[in-house]
Amino acid sequence: MDVLRRDVLKTVAASIVAGATSGVVACANEVSVGDRFPSAKAGHTAMNSRLLMTVRIAAAPSQKLGTVPHGNRTVVPVTGGHFEGLRLRGEILSGGGDWLLLRSDNVLELDLRITLETDDHALIYMTFQGLRHGSPEVIAALGRGEVVDRASYYFRTLPRFETSTESYAFLNRMVTVGVGEARPAGAIHRIYEIL
Amino acid sequence: MGVVVTGDSELRGQGMASRLLMTLHVVVSPPHRLGGVPHGTRVIAPIVGGSFEGPRLRGRVLPGGSDWTLLRSDGVLELDLRITLEADDGALIYMNSFGLRHGPPEVLAALARGDSVDPAQYYFRTAPRFEASAPQYAYLNRLLAISSGDRRASGPIYTVEEIL
Repeated sequence: MDVLRRDVLKTVAASIVAGATSGVVACANEVSVGDRFPSAKAGHTAMNSRLLMTVRIAAAPSQKLGTVPHGNRTVVPVTGGHFEGLRLRGEILSGGGDWLLLRSDNVLELDLRITLETDDHALIYMTFQGLRHGSPEVIAALGRGEVVDRASYYFRTLPRFETSTESYAFLNRMVTVGVGEARPAGAIHRIYEIL
Repeated sequence: MGVVVTGDSELRGQGMASRLLMTLHVVVSPPHRLGGVPHGTRVIAPIVGGSFEGPRLRGRVLPGGSDWTLLRSDGVLELDLRITLEADDGALIYMNSFGLRHGPPEVLAALARGDSVDPAQYYFRTAPRFEASAPQYAYLNRLLAISSGDRRASGPIYTVEEIL
């Protein structure tokens, strides 16, 4: 019974990692946990983390600058959006952007700068650098604006924060990781605090 | 047997997934203390060697890198490391990492004295990035990683995990 319970928990965790969003039914024997969710048994010490917030970005049509010395540059203006977590929530202000660079090895580098305004009016400067890559078919589907299962591509970021507001100063002191999901209207980032 | 997963379960804290990439020992020589600069107190710690070992890569740290540390006004130490790794098959890998270190004053004072301190007593996390031209290490160009640091008198030990 214990083993069964552990398998179910692992399945829940793997489903989250694998991109389950709303009401997805996952069966233990259908999900390949494998080394995508290392256990202590395998001698691994998976880093402890917890969800900080989910950031939903609203983007304007991208500006395609074409080939530049480091790759293919696209600038995506951020026009708004919102963020929600247990300790902070609010709106994304317009004026930021994501300066994308498609490298020669077909990995997309992300370089985002945005300003968050919390519901109690604190301003938070957020940046991240990230990577996105996947199979040619999946990347092509994303390019056509289709919604693709986020488990089928790698989209990870390293967000950093700056704020002067004491109640959010914890953001200045943490390392975080974002798990991204590309959507036609703008990306969704689930950001985890590294404990 | 089926399990229904909703977005809410993420808020209950399952976290993201990672797995061990390598354990990295870095040997530092006495640091250069530059003192107060516009962004804080700058200390540069030259890297003179070290080693790394993981399931998919192992080798040594070449001399020549450094960690450009900055103690901020809020007491948080920012780390900015650049080193070159040489794998046991001769491939060179450029690694840089940005990190944060902070903790209670008495713990940081003990670290400064070179005492051995349980790394669970302070926050020491970094985000390494890699560049490699060798095909067998190209996967390093395509991943993000995080590490947990253990500051020892001879230099830090990093447990580096690949973000899955």
